[in-house]
Amino acid sequence: MLRDRFLSPYQHGSSAVHRWPAGAKLLAAVGCVFLVVLLPRSAWWAYAAIAAGLVAVSLAARADLRGMLVRLLLLEPFVIGIALLALLKPGGVPLFLSMLTKSTLCLATMILLTATTRFSDLLAVLWRIRVPALLVTTLALMHRYLFVLVEEMERMQRARRSRTFVAGRTSAWRNSAQVAGQLFVRTSERAERVYLAMCARGWKA
Amino acid sequence: MHVPDGFLDARTLAATAGLAAVGLGLALREVRRNLPPRRVPLIGLAAAFVFAAQMLNFPVAAGTSGHLIGAALAAVLLGPAAAIVAMTAVLLLQSLMFADGGITALGANVLNLAVIAPLAAYGVYRAVRSIAGTGQQATLLATGFAAWCSTMAAALACAVQLAASGVVEWGTVLAAMGSVHMVIGLGEAVITMLIVAVVLRARPELVTSAVPAMQPTHRRTVAYGTALVIGLMVLVAPFASSLPDGLEHVAERFGFASLASASQPAPLPDYSLVPLADSSPWLATVLAGALGALVAFAVAWFVARALAAPVHPTARH
Amino acid sequence: MRPGLEGVSLLDVRDLAYRYPDGHEALRGLTFTLAPGERVALIGPNGAGKSTLLLHLNGLLPDRPPANPAITVDGLPLVEPNLPEVRRRVGLLFQDPDDQLFCPTVWEDVAFGPQQLGVREPRLSGLVRESLAQVGLAGFEDRLPHHLSRGEKRRVCLAGLLACDARLLVLDEPTSDLDPRGRRELMALLTGLAVGQLIATHDLEFVVEICPRAIVLDGGRIVADGPSRQLLDDEQLMLAHGLERPHILRHRHPH
Repeated sequence: MLRDRFLSPYQHGSSAVHRWPAGAKLLAAVGCVFLVVLLPRSAWWAYAAIAAGLVAVSLAARADLRGMLVRLLLLEPFVIGIALLALLKPGGVPLFLSMLTKSTLCLATMILLTATTRFSDLLAVLWRIRVPALLVTTLALMHRYLFVLVEEMERMQRARRSRTFVAGRTSAWRNSAQVAGQLFVRTSERAERVYLAMCARGWKA
Repeated sequence: MHVPDGFLDARTLAATAGLAAVGLGLALREVRRNLPPRRVPLIGLAAAFVFAAQMLNFPVAAGTSGHLIGAALAAVLLGPAAAIVAMTAVLLLQSLMFADGGITALGANVLNLAVIAPLAAYGVYRAVRSIAGTGQQATLLATGFAAWCSTMAAALACAVQLAASGVVEWGTVLAAMGSVHMVIGLGEAVITMLIVAVVLRARPELVTSAVPAMQPTHRRTVAYGTALVIGLMVLVAPFASSLPDGLEHVAERFGFASLASASQPAPLPDYSLVPLADSSPWLATVLAGALGALVAFAVAWFVARALAAPVHPTARH
Repeated sequence: MRPGLEGVSLLDVRDLAYRYPDGHEALRGLTFTLAPGERVALIGPNGAGKSTLLLHLNGLLPDRPPANPAITVDGLPLVEPNLPEVRRRVGLLFQDPDDQLFCPTVWEDVAFGPQQLGVREPRLSGLVRESLAQVGLAGFEDRLPHHLSRGEKRRVCLAGLLACDARLLVLDEPTSDLDPRGRRELMALLTGLAVGQLIATHDLEFVVEICPRAIVLDGGRIVADGPSRQLLDDEQLMLAHGLERPHILRHRHPH
């Protein structure tokens, strides 16, 4: 399902790229992104070289190129939208093109990173580089329960929809809002139980 | 309004990253010190909740849908510090895993959506509640208006960053982002109010309530005072264009004098906003903002009234 | 496994009572003991207080342990200073494994308990591996929780408790949402473990098959405590407390 594919960018594989340590991959990706951003606007040869590099790594990782392309295309409209603002300036076409290229390259880098690196490994890296514990715990819990909550939400939506006989904007808004509200209440209660489970296994805040 | 990589210049990236780090650091410290351990897992789960809720559809017209941003919702349900941490987590996940919002621009996005937005929301929420009271209707009104204000605050911050990076003219980006987000803000306000109404009905204790209510006499004073100020702005503003050159000077400095057709303030014999825009674009902007706020407040007021109505209004004895 | 002192019961509950903040009296003077290695079922209608009792056994309820505790685990009275040790010895398996499986990967979740107890590498990885093998999930270290089936999630939770060297496993409705295969696997697993077990359940066939002893709870009180077959065969007793005679006892086959 497209939604599942969207929520789980990681593609399991056993290539050399997959086996690189997560910290190194994160550093490389972030470094690449910074490089692209800080390059002069018309460094087209540099952009081309980086693009070639990304393609090379993707091939080495035996990544699902089509899947990654789909992700790229899904996110591209937002990039184009903001870049269009540059066209409002007189002589803004080169600026528009350069912004577009930079953003796309950065997007592609991150897509490649998440396709070859597991989120839990990235979390471990954050922990090692001493990102505040509270933030890492929050990220970990968020990622863990994201799918649980999304599934719960879909179940509630299905239940609502099967009892909504008049399709329309009002009922759609009401249903979505009620699902969200109920989801928060349930999430709150689940958070209580998770707290108890953490305490039961010796956790101290 | 997530800013992708490649739009902001190095100076803006650094400045926003620094501010975001400070904001986040303070929030983390506040949570560590004052949040009871029971509520710590809730921050993570609430972040997952915001992420999930952002997927819900709120159809607008002809196939387009609105979506929740969630900063105001988080602030009202978790309090400001926890909301900052939760929204930061959401943005980090969006940026790292879904390439939604750039990596270098993370500082800017965190600053706008995870620090400014929840803080603005909470500030407005508290302020409105201290005037309007702590009942269900007042809480909903405060929530709605807070959501609109937080959207505008984030949009304005984003506009400042885009303009400072030389991507767009200040006047253009302000007009573009401001006007669009006035409408988006209304959607955010209504959606947030609807959701909070559900929570209020099911588990009212989950909605942040630690606000001391003002004395009734003080309340009236503040309400009248606010009305007076807004009224003054609307009535007096046209004549303010004949104020000294100071304003024009400011307008030139900020670089959006390109919107102004005259470099001298023109005398205004009649009350109209268009010539005003020509000579004092700054005031016109402020006016537009104030009008937008008034509209948002009114919308929030009406929706709050509708939502807080008793469940069975037709019950008769 | 540490040998228990001769004659010291694994769990000793004496006149346990509990009232919720809203005034509802959930437990009214419960008294029972468990011997080391014993497997006991806790049955009763919904609302009888089963889950409330279970939360008491490792000190999650009440919010503050009382000065004169009603519960003693392995000779340790359940008071504040003993809480960490009691929580190690009493492994509580929650009804919804998603609530308990809160770490990003299986490995991290099984390692969570031992890490809190101070276990470090290289012993930690070995411990995780052994515990997963014990529950039949060898090789699952790198799996993500939301990719697992319900039964697998439950077993990962169990592995996490075993990794802390729990002496008493307390399980809340472990078969409630398992398919027949998952249920059979869990039953085989539990019978193969030597630790003591207290299992709250509605699954009366399960009780007959693997629990020699049953405690019937109703309205916060223990109404019966004895050999499962005998209690569950007592139709009047069963019906009086919102239960019924399980099929396995109704249709006896000569085998």
